[in-house]
Amino acid sequence: MGEKMGDEVYSDLMRELKEGKYVFTGELEPEKAGDVNEPIEMARELVGLVVACNVTDNPQSFAYVNSMAASYLIQKETGMECVYQLRCSDRNRMALLSDVLGAGALGLKNILALAGDHVSLGDTPDAKPVFDLDSTTLIAMIRKMVDEGKDLGGNEIHNPPKLHVGGAAAPGAAHLKAEVAKVKRKINVGVEYLQTQVVYYTDVLDKFFNELGKVDVPILVGIFPARTFGQANFFHENVAGVDVPPDYLEAMRKTKEIKDKEKRKEEVDRVNIEFFTGFLEHLKGTPAAGCHMMAVGYPRIIAPLKKVME
Amino acid sequence: MIAQEQKPMEEILGYLDGKQKVVVMGCGGCATFYHTGDKKAVNEMAEKLTKEGKEVFKIVLPFSFQACDIDKSGIWLEKNRKEIENRDAVLLMSCGDGVQIVADYIDEKMGIPKSVIPANDALGLVGGGPTKFKETCQSCGMCELGKTAGICPLTACGKGLMNGPCGGVRVGNKCEIDEEKDCAWVKIYERMEKLGELDKFIEMRDPHEWSKAKRPRLFEIENPVNIMTAGIGALPGFIRLVIGPKPKLEEEGKGE
Repeated sequence: MGEKMGDEVYSDLMRELKEGKYVFTGELEPEKAGDVNEPIEMARELVGLVVACNVTDNPQSFAYVNSMAASYLIQKETGMECVYQLRCSDRNRMALLSDVLGAGALGLKNILALAGDHVSLGDTPDAKPVFDLDSTTLIAMIRKMVDEGKDLGGNEIHNPPKLHVGGAAAPGAAHLKAEVAKVKRKINVGVEYLQTQVVYYTDVLDKFFNELGKVDVPILVGIFPARTFGQANFFHENVAGVDVPPDYLEAMRKTKEIKDKEKRKEEVDRVNIEFFTGFLEHLKGTPAAGCHMMAVGYPRIIAPLKKVME
Repeated sequence: MIAQEQKPMEEILGYLDGKQKVVVMGCGGCATFYHTGDKKAVNEMAEKLTKEGKEVFKIVLPFSFQACDIDKSGIWLEKNRKEIENRDAVLLMSCGDGVQIVADYIDEKMGIPKSVIPANDALGLVGGGPTKFKETCQSCGMCELGKTAGICPLTACGKGLMNGPCGGVRVGNKCEIDEEKDCAWVKIYERMEKLGELDKFIEMRDPHEWSKAKRPRLFEIENPVNIMTAGIGALPGFIRLVIGPKPKLEEEGKGE
């Protein structure tokens, strides 16, 4: 305690960002199951390829295995460092506070603080949406807990959690100026890194960086190489601020026509590598500190895409 | 109606910091019942602001002309267009509905971007009167009263439980969080007992469907009420109230 904000380094992700390394992160999605075997398998394949993996928290408001439990188990079983995603949709400030303490106790080192999708978008639409805090106030609360060892009420925390807090940014937001102002607000309250929502268009990304200007916080740009046409199309139709290019969608749609499973996989990989090579080449010339590869259930694509950045 | 109270003067003055010329506007609806937006309240506010060195212009809405009913309040806004244009802010003595509906009208319809500042805090949808009111309904969009003997547990129970009482009921059947308040679920039990419906009490009620309260809720009606027709329609009731005989329900009940 007492150190200047941001002096301490607790995670490999933060260490690499501070060292100025070009950072790659992945994404794992716990499912509606009584175990986390599948994300653990995926994590095993990603060890050594990415420095850390985000573990999603009820994505699109579909209720899945608790992200803290999944993050802990993945980290324990595979050694993959996890970015524990934590959304405000389902928990009041008291539950959030106690979850952050729990995460610290379990040895989690990174939290991605999110507002979260409205519960009505998912598979439990009658739930009462909470949003007692929002992403900014959650970031501020976590910084206060870590840096000052105090909770929201100013009560002292014995042995405060040692972890880093990140936030999200949406380059494709409908109102870019408002989005950028919000991102700056997160920076002002102490967010330590940013991971962007998925971007497909280089001009969308350039406009975002231009509008944001120079900031001291490292930004990882999100890309989403889809494993199937259905995945890509789901993003296109359901995720706000994400516009999947029609050419890419069409190329992915065509892969469905290939009957041989292995050949179809090869074609999907080819489409992704072709599309994202151009995007990643462009990324080299932007202020991005790295790339967040949201290739859920598709670990084999990470290595060839990383190669582009070498 | 919507219960309300005036904000502390320091807070109001904070919002008006740097705004010298101010319109103070009242509301002839709920704010008149609560004396937070009637003529007297507008005059008192104007006086306080004048003492603080502000130049004040007053708009008082007559009884039953609500700030949130823009069809009516809009007439007063249009009538005072010049004053609104020339002032730095409008201080609205109504609930948050009035503040936002008026701000929207001034901005969108009248084309005048202007700070519209709340003077009051709205405290909830209440019923009762003439002096005591209580919050009984939160307009959740999915009324549960048919399952709970006519008492809303979402509003009357501090925890909003659908299947109470909780373990925190105090001596005298009072609420865990406020010993002044009755436990809603004991009330529901007693009322079900009275109505011979106790078998319903032990049935589990499903979690409430909060999807019906997805905000913001928007509505449209096909035939809006005409002010004149509504006024004329209400007249016989008012006349009967003033000069008519008092109801004798109690005596009638005894006679049976």
